[in-house]
Amino acid sequence: MISAFRPVLLMFCATFSTAALAHNPMCECKAIDAEQIQCTGGFSDGSGAPGVTLDVIGYDETILVPGKLGADSTLTFKKPGAEFYVLFDAGPGHVVEIDQADIEAP
Amino acid sequence: MSKAIPASPPSRASLLWHKWRFHINILLLLIPLGFMPKYFADASLFRGDSGLGEREIGEIQVGPWSLRLAELRNEAPRLTGPAGYMKGFNAALCELCRDQVKATYLRIGKPRSLRAAGAIFFGTPYRMGAMLPVPEKTKADAELWITMEGWDGAMHQASIPLSQASPATLAWLNKQGGKP
Repeated sequence: MISAFRPVLLMFCATFSTAALAHNPMCECKAIDAEQIQCTGGFSDGSGAPGVTLDVIGYDETILVPGKLGADSTLTFKKPGAEFYVLFDAGPGHVVEIDQADIEAP
Repeated sequence: MSKAIPASPPSRASLLWHKWRFHINILLLLIPLGFMPKYFADASLFRGDSGLGEREIGEIQVGPWSLRLAELRNEAPRLTGPAGYMKGFNAALCELCRDQVKATYLRIGKPRSLRAAGAIFFGTPYRMGAMLPVPEKTKADAELWITMEGWDGAMHQASIPLSQASPATLAWLNKQGGKP
């Protein structure tokens, strides 16, 4: 029984090993209207990032909007008055920064 | 009364196949040999037998600490799926700092904070690896920043020009033109 299962397990591991190798964090932000910005987080292996921290931080390093992504891996926030950047933070070294200049207008 | 159907003579291709099939299959076994040099070069690179990486950048002083940095591959960043272009770097910590350094980060451009210090090196202090995202709009005069964080909370930074860190990346950036 076990010996019959082994080749199947080997095939499974060989097929899915590449997916486990690379899963870099990704984040995309766009302005949905003049006031609101929506950010979507995820990983390059296609998985979502519900519950992952996403902070909106001012150029002076004050946290303007402390947030966490919702169940659909998105977070919508009101555009701050001050200059800011978005930090998708999935842990040390697994961050994505998006400057306000790189956020698409609606 | 039966009529025997005369057997048609075998075609020329069939004759050739039957005569040479054994030898042709031997040739098939030789095909993997062509991939052997690359296989052994990669195995030696990943095992560390051929150095820290394909191109050693040198010893870089970061505050009281230092690290030896190398490009994993002496080539332009590779497109690795939806996360964009990535470039692999390897590093080895100095003998003194192996016990003192908690984390080492790599980023193009000066980090805004320790939280946003960039890609983290993982692995043993003797041979760590990091995958650095290289945005397509990176400027040719950009700098590679190394941030090291100690167990005591100390943070030290150093930078080297991208042209020194990876000439192949610089050539790639110049070739595709500065994207907005």
